[in-house]
Amino acid sequence: MTRGEMLDFVQRVLDAVPVEHAVAELGEERSASVRFGRNAITQNVDTFRRELRLWIGDGSRKTEYRTHRIDTAAIQDMVREAVARLRNSPPDPEYVPPADGGQIYRTVDAWDESTGGIDPGPRMDAAASAVSAAEAAGAEAAGISRMDSSRRALATSTGNLCFHEATAGIFQLTVLAGSGSSYRSTVSKAWSAIPVRRIVDEVVAEALSARNPADSQPGEIDVVLEPQAVADLVSFVLYSLNARESDEGLTVFTGREGSRVASERFTLESDMNGEVPGTPFDRDGFAADDQVWIESGVLRTMMRDRFWAGKTGLPAVVSPGCFSVPGGEGTAADLAAQSRRCLRIRRFWYIRFVDQKTLTLTGMTRDGVFLCENGSVTPVKDFRWNWKPLELFSRIEALGTPERKGFMTVPPMLLRSIPV
Amino acid sequence: MRELAAFAISELASSGVEYGDARVEDRAVESMTFRGMRLEDAVDSTSEGIGVRAIVNGCWGFASSTGLDREAVSTAVERAVRIAASGAGRTGSRVRLSAQTPRMGSYSSPCIEDPFGVDKSEKMGLLEECSRIMNSDSAITSTYAQLYSERIDRVFASTEGTLVESHLIHTQPFLQAFAVHGGDAQSRSLQTGARAAGWEWIRENDLLAASERVRDEAIEKVMAPEGPSGVMDLVLDGLNLSLTMHESVGHATESDRALGWEANMAGRTFVRLSDPGSLRYGSDIVNFTADNTMPIGLASWGWDDDGTPCQKWHTVRNGIFQEFGTVRETALLVGRDASRGCCRAQDFGFFPINRQPNFYLEPSLEPVTPDDLISGIARGIFIQGRGSFSIDQNRVNFQFGGDFFREIRDGKLGGPLKKVLYGARTTEFWGACDGIADARFFQPMGLLTCGKGEPMQGARMTHGASPARFRGITVGGGVR
Repeated sequence: MTRGEMLDFVQRVLDAVPVEHAVAELGEERSASVRFGRNAITQNVDTFRRELRLWIGDGSRKTEYRTHRIDTAAIQDMVREAVARLRNSPPDPEYVPPADGGQIYRTVDAWDESTGGIDPGPRMDAAASAVSAAEAAGAEAAGISRMDSSRRALATSTGNLCFHEATAGIFQLTVLAGSGSSYRSTVSKAWSAIPVRRIVDEVVAEALSARNPADSQPGEIDVVLEPQAVADLVSFVLYSLNARESDEGLTVFTGREGSRVASERFTLESDMNGEVPGTPFDRDGFAADDQVWIESGVLRTMMRDRFWAGKTGLPAVVSPGCFSVPGGEGTAADLAAQSRRCLRIRRFWYIRFVDQKTLTLTGMTRDGVFLCENGSVTPVKDFRWNWKPLELFSRIEALGTPERKGFMTVPPMLLRSIPV
Repeated sequence: MRELAAFAISELASSGVEYGDARVEDRAVESMTFRGMRLEDAVDSTSEGIGVRAIVNGCWGFASSTGLDREAVSTAVERAVRIAASGAGRTGSRVRLSAQTPRMGSYSSPCIEDPFGVDKSEKMGLLEECSRIMNSDSAITSTYAQLYSERIDRVFASTEGTLVESHLIHTQPFLQAFAVHGGDAQSRSLQTGARAAGWEWIRENDLLAASERVRDEAIEKVMAPEGPSGVMDLVLDGLNLSLTMHESVGHATESDRALGWEANMAGRTFVRLSDPGSLRYGSDIVNFTADNTMPIGLASWGWDDDGTPCQKWHTVRNGIFQEFGTVRETALLVGRDASRGCCRAQDFGFFPINRQPNFYLEPSLEPVTPDDLISGIARGIFIQGRGSFSIDQNRVNFQFGGDFFREIRDGKLGGPLKKVLYGARTTEFWGACDGIADARFFQPMGLLTCGKGEPMQGARMTHGASPARFRGITVGGGVR
């Protein structure tokens, strides 16, 4: 459907709703990818989904209905079904209507026309390039080359009407070379901005250099986290930035707004027009905006839904879907050169909360741990860790150049004296 | 649905593909969640669509679309064939499928009382009462009470002549209470999981009594001392073991991992292609039975997404690894003639991949009670339910928690503990199993959300065990 058709459809749905409050959202998602493993293509897909979400409320009760049956002629049936469900709903003591009318949405350019075309050629070329390079090196490649596009039209009974579209090109590659492995994940709104050849060469070379790893030695040592490893940890900090759960005593941030929670070198913010494009509105039609969550180590704000905002007298804060940790200059290898002896870690795997209250995590290293000592770089075996990321981020010695990793941009970090 | 599936197959056949199949699905989900005393979410959703696979010149193509009409089907077929052709010959390999006899039939999961037929006000009233019970103590600061039901109607058809359908109903209750005390917060949950069953599964859980138990044990837990560290003996209940076996046995014995297909995402496995029949996975009393025919199992569909009939086999027998779970494409690559029927997709919008079957730890054939297991322990911990869980990508090094812990001292259960973690290496852990309770104490547990693949997709399967004893396990921070 075109942008105009999608906006017209959600408006028609709203027009058919006989109760006071409603939000109609129509979404389309197309995802196409080539997946490969052990130097062979294992999946080659092109998927499409279209879904309508209809939320209705009468000032006291609410309900939500979702369907893939998108048909203008069926709007009356959908609305009738939703209204019937509303009648069965109990009063909601935390009822909030859709976002007030007159929301001002940020303009975010998240669409790349070429990537939105979902042409299979570049995806297959990238996969074939990785496979041939790995084969030539006597190694095995696994990964995915992927193009996604999404479009959302949303209308509220309070008078808001908005549309957002986004594309993403994603190239992930793991190369296994005997006991060595390496990995990269690169995301951009434009597939053409992904340097496939350079990534393939780097990953093959690093996998070869990671063969025959030695045991790591327990003790305290400087650690350099590659951007992917930083992103893996920051995700859990974001999960904990929930005002309500913190007020209920359930997170590490309870009672700490305005207090230092990390090194002054650590800032966590959202820039909707940064390298990761933000999403201008939430599912209620509430406008998202830039935020500073942690500023120079001090907790400034948390995500706070509109009910909790009203209850606590603080402003509502929604996630704009993009996050960044500002950095400095240089690669992880440059940071490692600043330490006499350190471990450089590519990424983590299977991170889970051990204790949500203290933000204690466990996980494993994966796809590249190197001991960097007096100019030499030698591979080290993966190891399990139990760390508190805020303690790690309190030991930042230096930051490198940020890179996009998924929905955030983060720099490599040099951390002093970490127990491993 | 059968007509659309047949139409898709005719379109595939006329396009000249080497192989093609189509999955036409119609799904309904009802989910209600109380947070505290409030109905936070009440979602009804329906989804319908088609997923089409095609092999052209030895390369897969898959396309899917929401909507059930001939236009959506034709578009999906055209895209699947086109992208299959775009990949043909780009790498040196060709897809080969193990032989499969064409099948016709219909499978329905057991359901005594249709959960979609139960009045919504009855469901909400039940959740509200559960929430009231859990919140009746001021030490409880946050609670969740949830009911989830799904109905899946699917038709699978292939160019080889298979045409089968499945009609599945799954239900799941969930309760969780968070208690805060002395600057700490701890939770306790009802974790019996999902089951291929109707509303009778909700009744069987007696949610009102469970709410009292969850509330009281959350408070006991937050006020309990932290667990000890060191090497000691453990008794793990069936719910805890379900997750431990899922991670350390189920994923480790998936054939696609052994082949390296998941190396970029879910990881590989320490189990080698040459290990069936020789790898010692556990002690002599450890028997894991894979069973996609068990009626309550979430992976019991009648036929998988290759059209292969669901089956029952030993993954581990008398402690020795027997066989990988396979799909048609991997079976030949791991030295088998036929698939074990482990090919499943999250829904019509995903390419089906090698998933875990239902499988369980066989209980003791001799009469053994949990007290018998505990009586043989001088110092240890009894762990119930699931908590923190993490395992490396080769499925060797794991660290698990639990949901409720009690000290064992001098052969008797003691008071509650909190913050207990145990860690081990997979084969050492299962090798340390020296006692399993009998079938009277068996607890199945159905998972709705096993994540794997790229793009990530969920899968459903059921595990289970009776309480079992493990000797000399590292407690308090896992192993390196």
